[in-house]
Amino acid sequence: MTIICLSFLISGIFLALSNNLRETARVLAENMTISFFLDRTTSPQTTAALLRDVAQPPFIESVRFVRPEEAMEKFQASFPDLRDILVNLKANPFPPSIEARVRSKSASAAELVRFVQTMKTRPGVSDVQFNQDWVEKMQGFSRLARAVGVFLGGILILASFFIISNVIKLNVMARRNEIEILRLVGATNLFIRIPFWLEGIVLGLLGSLLSLGLLFIITKVFPLYLGSSLGALEQLLSFRYPDWRQALGLLAAGAATGFMGSATSVSKFLKN
Amino acid sequence: MIELFHVWKQYQKPFWALSDVTLQIRAGDFYFVTGPSGSGKTTLLKIIFRELLPTEGQILIDGVNALKIPESKIWRLRRQMGIVFQDFRLMFHRSVSENVAVPLQVTGVNRKEIRRRVFNTLQKVNLHQKMWEFPGRLSYGEQQRVAIARAIVNNPEIILADEPTGNLDPELAFEIVSLFKEINRQGTTVIIGSHDRELIRHFGDNIIFLQKGRIVGKEGR
Repeated sequence: MTIICLSFLISGIFLALSNNLRETARVLAENMTISFFLDRTTSPQTTAALLRDVAQPPFIESVRFVRPEEAMEKFQASFPDLRDILVNLKANPFPPSIEARVRSKSASAAELVRFVQTMKTRPGVSDVQFNQDWVEKMQGFSRLARAVGVFLGGILILASFFIISNVIKLNVMARRNEIEILRLVGATNLFIRIPFWLEGIVLGLLGSLLSLGLLFIITKVFPLYLGSSLGALEQLLSFRYPDWRQALGLLAAGAATGFMGSATSVSKFLKN
Repeated sequence: MIELFHVWKQYQKPFWALSDVTLQIRAGDFYFVTGPSGSGKTTLLKIIFRELLPTEGQILIDGVNALKIPESKIWRLRRQMGIVFQDFRLMFHRSVSENVAVPLQVTGVNRKEIRRRVFNTLQKVNLHQKMWEFPGRLSYGEQQRVAIARAIVNNPEIILADEPTGNLDPELAFEIVSLFKEINRQGTTVIIGSHDRELIRHFGDNIIFLQKGRIVGKEGR
């Protein structure tokens, strides 16, 4: 049962990691904004035209003009420690800007890049900043974590399949006399198979249940153990416990592995 | 009725375990199949209960071609039969009553009925007082009686016994064959494979003599 438990535990760990990355990517995507910094000398007409043009693409949810004073207030609120530096400055260093919020999942990276590059060449726009890269990277990591999980988990689940199959085979061999007697007194193959199937299913279920328990402990203990030593990586490397659908999926996979392992070994024996 | 037509069986070339065996055993008959070791007694019995398939020939059990029954449906044939072996083939981790109950459990008989029939059958073989014992604690004669009880508990039409007295002393052997006689008197066809001449002389109504896989003689009353 240890190997069954380990197989599902490894799949579960990658699932938990992938869940976290996906969630981080989702939060980032929801907050994805593009800031178009304008020249201080930009006329109100040009600003209005830019506002209109930025709002035009269907993937832009909303646009907002941010005055330099507003930007400074926002900065002071976000970084109170740096408030004194700003007080000593004679002029407001923040340029006016247009903040555009992107609809999550509605634009492809290529579309956004094209849009940003077009806008960058417009008179009055001095610089553009957006966090598309991060979202893309996060989604990529999430997919990678899941793929690694599926790959490693798949190999280990295959190993558990053979292990369950061999455990049942040994059991079948140990009970071959009993099976022989059952066949001689007229037992159907189904009658003989069912106890072995149940044994396989119970083995698989217990293994995956144990792995869910261990995973729960890992997701709780891991952050406590590492504390804040991971720094910025903590957000990326923390685990999100599988939701009930994923947990049920792992249990079902355990039961299915157990069932298939036992079914193949009993079938082979009965055919012989 | 058990009918064999020109049955041949070969395990390994060039030896024939059975050669051109043709015989008819009517319902309710009591038969001994005898012959020296390696004459084909066990092979013949195994072919009748479809543990083995013949190399050639046909077998009809109650008019049904036994060779046409698919592997997955052999249980239908086996439920018509009770089989007893020289080595008893009991489940030693189960009690006497649990061993006898097995043929009824596999046919889906309810628990109450199983209890009643197991007790009645154990009474017939005079083992009802040891129904909770485990076979390992019984004598060979008692173990064989448990095997017989298991073979008759579901009232089969045919009993096949392969050397059922091979491990028993002469007194016990007589007792066991008397039991088969009693079962036969109630209408069950009984075929016993044995090389015990004394027993055959005493109980043999119908005898088939086998030698090197061939029927070399038949006696019948």
